Amino acid sequence: MNPKRLIIAFALGLALAAGIFVALRTQVPSAPESALILPDPNPVPEFSLVDQHGTPVDQTVFTGQWDLVFFGFTHCPDICPTTLQVLAAAKAALHAQGQTPLPRIVLVSVDPERDTPELMKQYVGYFGDGNLGITGTLDELSKLTSGLGIYFEKRLSDGDNYSVDHSAAVLVINPDGGFSALFGGPHVVDNYVHDLPIVMGGS
Amino acid sequence: MRSFILLLTVFISACGAPEPPLVVSELEITKPMPGMQMSAGFLMITNNTDETARITKVSSPQFEAVEIHETTISDGVSRMRELQALIVPARSSVVLERGGKHLMLMRARDLQDSVTLQFFNEDLPLLSVDYSFSKDERK
Repeated sequence: MNPKRLIIAFALGLALAAGIFVALRTQVPSAPESALILPDPNPVPEFSLVDQHGTPVDQTVFTGQWDLVFFGFTHCPDICPTTLQVLAAAKAALHAQGQTPLPRIVLVSVDPERDTPELMKQYVGYFGDGNLGITGTLDELSKLTSGLGIYFEKRLSDGDNYSVDHSAAVLVINPDGGFSALFGGPHVVDNYVHDLPIVMGGS
Repeated sequence: MRSFILLLTVFISACGAPEPPLVVSELEITKPMPGMQMSAGFLMITNNTDETARITKVSSPQFEAVEIHETTISDGVSRMRELQALIVPARSSVVLERGGKHLMLMRARDLQDSVTLQFFNEDLPLLSVDYSFSKDERK
């Protein structure tokens, strides 16, 4: 072979190898490590509740943005604040690495008896700006939870005290108002930072 | 006699201070969330004795009630239950941590910078520890 052609062939091979190397290094991971993606997003059922400002909201509140939805209550001292802190930290980390869009964090109260809009406003506001708190009547709440497969049940203890057993999952609702993925827990910041760009990029 | 006392003093000094039977470490008490009068307590309690320690009651002057709780997650459901006692086996430690056993401090009253926790076996005081929010760098 002509030495000039040999050099060109070598250079082309080198460029190809370099290209493959760079592509492998920079490609977006395509498989979530923690999230369970629903092959067919499930529309959020109809409901009528209120947000933390007392403004009526229905299922359309879940359209137009990505939402991370957790079902908990303000009198929960352990799992609920810990989970919301994880979501807030994950959102901050995604923001720092330039991720767009960023999801909204939503707390739906499973204790509407105690969780007034005023209390929800203070509570969700503690975890950052732009968060949404939803509360209201038990009947309307049940429409939302049962439609999404979320379990909750009031558990009486001593005196007037009670706790609420509730699903620990975080649901991902897509901008079309479809339940499209689920984080079952344990909730870890790195899992969200890794998986959310994949979940949100796959819509 | 004097030399015996001196010898005894030297011996006790050599042994150092006696080990406290129960020790609380890694204590963290969360500040009440806005609008709430409730905190959670996380800690490690170590039993330095050869007997099992039972903690059946915890109280605090800064809260109307303190309960020992345990959060469990099974089948995707988070459940919180009150425990009647915290059992610390001999020469062992028990950790109260997020997502597991913890103290639930309810109905704060005139809460400032510090919280005192008192641990009891029935009505027998076991130990008392103080916590300062301002000294906690984890916040």
